[in-house]
Amino acid sequence: MALMPKRVKHRKSQRRRIKGNATRGNRVVFGDFGLQALQGGWIKAQTIEAGRIAAQQYVRGEGRLYIRIFPHKSVTSTPLETRMGKGKGEPDFWAAVVKPGTILYELSGVTEAQARVCFARLAHKMPLPVRFVKRRPA
Amino acid sequence: MTDVLEVTVRENVGSHAAKRVRGAGAVPAVLYGHNQPNVHLAVPADQVDAAIRHGTKMVELQGAVRDTALIREVQWDALGFEILHLDLTRVSATETVRVILPLELRGEAPGAKEGGIIEQQLHEVEFECAAAALPEKLEVNVNHLHLDQEIRVSDLVLPEGAKVLTDPDELVLHCVPTAPVAEEEEVGEAAEPELIGRREEAEEEAE
Repeated sequence: MALMPKRVKHRKSQRRRIKGNATRGNRVVFGDFGLQALQGGWIKAQTIEAGRIAAQQYVRGEGRLYIRIFPHKSVTSTPLETRMGKGKGEPDFWAAVVKPGTILYELSGVTEAQARVCFARLAHKMPLPVRFVKRRPA
Repeated sequence: MTDVLEVTVRENVGSHAAKRVRGAGAVPAVLYGHNQPNVHLAVPADQVDAAIRHGTKMVELQGAVRDTALIREVQWDALGFEILHLDLTRVSATETVRVILPLELRGEAPGAKEGGIIEQQLHEVEFECAAAALPEKLEVNVNHLHLDQEIRVSDLVLPEGAKVLTDPDELVLHCVPTAPVAEEEEVGEAAEPELIGRREEAEEEAE
């Protein structure tokens, strides 16, 4: 099931601009390898789930996958063939706001070669350019 | 292992001057400690990259300054592509230093063959020892780790005269059974999240 907040203060949110690079969540923390976004954008909850399934099918039973992003933002849309006006549309999907440099997923318990193959499969699902990263030296 | 860095002294300081240094293929650095004045340095970027890649903590400075130094802090850009700045501290070989050391797993855990996976919870420890004997990393042997067993900070094998400052009870890693793959739940209609404050309002109105 796609990710979604349990409780929210407001059903709808404004779009807002994505400015600057990620200054938090831009380092591999839990695993040994990570997938880093190189561009900003929204990643839908369904896309996060699709990535999880693609990766989990590969590392099944061996490694552990960590999802580092969460879809906190509700995105609204108006139905097709609707006349202008009548206010803001209804929530359509949930998305994670991603800045360049954000670590999207992490992997542990697998070799680097396995992690590279796994993230290559996962990267096909992502709507942004991404790259493979390792834990930064202490 | 000690890497050698060929350093030059920077006359101009500040962000613009540092940017020019980076453009020329060097990394701005500062050397301080031992009650001596700070020295602003420029170090070739390839030498810095090699030292960081090797996990070196102690470096030998040559060129404009001849000294032994400890890499105290490394500043990276937001995307982790390049090193922006280095902090170097003067140290003597007999001095005791405190550093953050990475943990590296060694061996093959029998627990992995018994249907478990190794989950590493702690990747770095705070470490204290003589500067001359400073290792690049701490090795954690997992050759005797069976299913449902764990290794804590107190179980780490340390070099002679060294001390770990991290909480000894903290979990480093454990071998846990593989979680069964959960069946995908069929959800017909995507439910909406609960609205904070809306339920209390409804309850008040009902009263």
